Amino acid sequence: MAILRAEHLSKDYQMGEVVVKALQDTSFEIREGEFVVILGPSGSGKSTLLNIIGGMDLPTSGKVFLRDEEITAYGDRELTEYRRNKVGFVFQFYNIMANLTAEENVELATEISKDPLPVGEILEAVGLSDRRNHFPAQMSGGEQQRVSIARAVAKNPEILLCDEPTGALDFNTGIAILGLLHKVNRDMGKTVIVITHNSDIAFMADRVIRMRSGRIIEDHINEKPIAVEDIKW
Amino acid sequence: MVKNRFALSKIDTMLARMIGHSKGQFAAVLTIIILGIAIYTAMNMTSVNMYKTVDDYYEENGFPDLFLQTAAVPSQEAERLKEIDGVKQATGRVSMDVPMITDDENERVNLRLITTTGGEDELSRSTVLEGKMISQSGNEALLIEEFAKARGIGIGDEIRIQAGGVQRTLEITGIAANPEYIYLMENTQSMLPDAENFGVCYVSEKFGQQAAGLSGSFNEILIRYEEDADEEALIDDVEDALDIYGVKQTVKQEDQLSNSIINQELTQLKNMANSLPVLFVLVAGLILMMMLSRLVKKDRIKIGILKAIGYSNRQVLFHYVKYALVCGILGGAAGAVLGMALAGGMTRLYLEYFHIPLLRVEFYYSYLIYAILLSAVFCTVSGLIGARGALKISIAEAMHAESPKLGKRILLEKLPFFWKRLSFSSKMISKNIFRNKKRTIFVLAGISLTYAMMLFTATMPDVMNQLMNEHFKEFQRMDYNIGFRTPVLRDTVRDMEHLIEVDYIEGKLEYPFELTNGNKKQSVSIIGLDRDTKFYTFYNADGVQTEIPKRGMLITENLAKALNVGKGDLVRIKSYIPNRDDVYLQVKDVIKQTLGMNAYMDIRTMGETLLEKNVINGVYADSKDPDINEKLIRAANVASVMSVADTRAVYEEYMDMTNLSIGAMVIFSGILGFCIVYNATIVSLGEREMEFSSLRVLGFSKLEIFFMIVRENNIIMILGILLGIPVGNIMARYSSEAFSTDIYTIDMSPTFSALIMAGVYTVVFVFLAQLATYRKIKKLDFLQALKNRES
Repeated sequence: MAILRAEHLSKDYQMGEVVVKALQDTSFEIREGEFVVILGPSGSGKSTLLNIIGGMDLPTSGKVFLRDEEITAYGDRELTEYRRNKVGFVFQFYNIMANLTAEENVELATEISKDPLPVGEILEAVGLSDRRNHFPAQMSGGEQQRVSIARAVAKNPEILLCDEPTGALDFNTGIAILGLLHKVNRDMGKTVIVITHNSDIAFMADRVIRMRSGRIIEDHINEKPIAVEDIKW
Repeated sequence: MVKNRFALSKIDTMLARMIGHSKGQFAAVLTIIILGIAIYTAMNMTSVNMYKTVDDYYEENGFPDLFLQTAAVPSQEAERLKEIDGVKQATGRVSMDVPMITDDENERVNLRLITTTGGEDELSRSTVLEGKMISQSGNEALLIEEFAKARGIGIGDEIRIQAGGVQRTLEITGIAANPEYIYLMENTQSMLPDAENFGVCYVSEKFGQQAAGLSGSFNEILIRYEEDADEEALIDDVEDALDIYGVKQTVKQEDQLSNSIINQELTQLKNMANSLPVLFVLVAGLILMMMLSRLVKKDRIKIGILKAIGYSNRQVLFHYVKYALVCGILGGAAGAVLGMALAGGMTRLYLEYFHIPLLRVEFYYSYLIYAILLSAVFCTVSGLIGARGALKISIAEAMHAESPKLGKRILLEKLPFFWKRLSFSSKMISKNIFRNKKRTIFVLAGISLTYAMMLFTATMPDVMNQLMNEHFKEFQRMDYNIGFRTPVLRDTVRDMEHLIEVDYIEGKLEYPFELTNGNKKQSVSIIGLDRDTKFYTFYNADGVQTEIPKRGMLITENLAKALNVGKGDLVRIKSYIPNRDDVYLQVKDVIKQTLGMNAYMDIRTMGETLLEKNVINGVYADSKDPDINEKLIRAANVASVMSVADTRAVYEEYMDMTNLSIGAMVIFSGILGFCIVYNATIVSLGEREMEFSSLRVLGFSKLEIFFMIVRENNIIMILGILLGIPVGNIMARYSSEAFSTDIYTIDMSPTFSALIMAGVYTVVFVFLAQLATYRKIKKLDFLQALKNRES
């Protein structure tokens, strides 16, 4: 069953006197429990797509459905509720709060969500039990990204949206983070959507959506996803 | 998940740490709020306490609603006044000013003898503070406390007075306070209380009547109204009833000297209580706005994340508003508590100044609530305005680096002649000043406000000096102003020349009259002078010298305003001499006079039209006679001697006290300036961290960067001071009107020395603020700033 469905999405930006078409008539479906990689070079519209399906931006035209709910018809309040309970975000630059510890950063999200997971367990799952009281400045990039993942997962969302989650990390740390996302997908049953320009990551995905110039140029099921450890770039 | 109910939510934890991180700025804003709220609470509570104390005192001691000075009125006549509609109570008494004889023969001490029955139904009863009430026989007397204290007179002591041509002795049985002399002043001309040389003494009716030669009669009538009395109608009726005896002056409660001074002081206190704190809270609000708007800009990504996680716009906005709210509540509570603590002391200080034997220091806890509410609401509104930008931040945009601002040429660059001649760092400084116009305007406004307040404060002593000089050197120039008990023929001036050694002497006529124009009335002294008087110089409102007219009169500006008349208008003068018709006199010119409210006439015309031909009731004299006081005490008909030198001495003593409050004002204004400059600089530092880091990489030292900021601030400071001059002038002009009363007419134009002093004070506080920011610059990790992508 499709957990997420996009129908004819378009997004135009006005840049001075020029209209930039970031998304053009984009449609796709994502099934529940899939690990999806949306692949594309910079400027292909993948971040715009993520922003729209994450309820952070609205399309110029087209619709997005979470199960049968049309989120593009939501008002401000419903969109906030949607972000609060249905989706979790992981960003390229971690974007965790500098003046909160690892644990507090996770609690920042769980405090407002309806059905959060136990913070301690999540921190343990991401391998940060012994770093829970550290501030971001005392942690490595990989550790900070783990906090970011823990924060997204602990809300117990239906979908995890990750924007270049390994973009700021070295290869080994990147692989470890991808392993963690894979674990969240397999063990916790969360649908994970990863946006990246790194085509090697696509090999681990259940579904790969390729984008270029605001359009989907390929949308296929990866019959044989490889293990995270086997990815090389 | 089990949550600790008392633990802060994580978003509040962030807030708490944010406050901790900006504690210097937070403390600066808090200080302003605490000061503002403390002033608000202290002044308001003092004001309420003082009003209540005064009201209770008046009520308990039967303070009259109306005072009438008359010629001799038979005692039974006073009783009959009760039959007049609206009169609740009427009592009579004898009042006369007499010289007290002291060991220092050259000292002139005036004592006002007032008769009292000591009865419970008497009006204007004294409160015996020490000793006992006088008996109605003999020569016992109650002495007013401040005078007794100032002269070291105690119970059982005897004092000697010169009254009715003979020396009399009074035995002090009690020390007392009286509601008519809360502020112990002899008359409107005395300007300030002088407890050493003027006192009030309460004696038995018998003694007083004998000393004044008014057997069985009174020369003052005191009246209390029924609650619903029509004051004007009542006054007309009372004056009609007493007309055959002669009413010299009718004084309403509101015009009674001590009462009117207290009311002016308390009104000023109330006005200050409601205006000064607003200024402080306004500045605090502006600083908060500036800080929060900067913080929101800086926290763009953080706000994006919060929204992405699922925090609503309202929650995010409130996160920042809470910063202001915490400031408001903490500042409000601390300020209110401090204010309450100060209120007790402040009320007591007022009571040192005003002599009231009862004290109603009550703590009005409602003010605590008002103060916290006032400060919380004000800060919340400032917070909402400052942080409203948080609503506009869209998550999608927040996640991307902000595109650099469009660089613009500043105004100065359009002046190539000027711009080309600037050094590189001067160009940078100029660009920075123009970069954030709102903040530059804020600092500019802050410094000009600080300067204006400093200027206003520094002007005060000059104004008082000027007031004294204008009145006692330029306007009237006699060494002595001598008043007679009863009018005498003009030739008496010659006798005076025999009595004391004089360099120059002129006769005068000075009598109180009621002047009327339509429904406007004012009781003032009309002074009759020789037309070629050498003691007075009159200038009209246009600054042109003018002279005493042969017919008609000159009136002071404040009198013209009170009666709503101008040059050429006719004013009705009500005569208090029995059976004499009222006289209409023309206003020939309106003159400037800083102290008091009067009308001036030719002495001969005044005698003829208002009194009797060829009389005087006093003289003005220049004299270097060392024994002048001793000689005058012996003269039976001399009622009062006022020496300009003594008045000046009293004034100088008073100025010492004023300096204390001026010091407090300087510190308050300074704190304001300090906090504004400190906060604006810190905000600017935060904003330009990257820029300074780049400069550091280029090889600029921390000190060089500091001086760059100092130079920016200094330019704004100079401009602020220049702008502060007109602002201070406006404040002064406004205050001139606010402070001018029936007694004083103040012209608060700042003098050159005040301009300089205010400048020095401002520079000192701005310098201190900059020094405080240097600490921050030293601590900034410039290289880290370059590495960081903020979150």
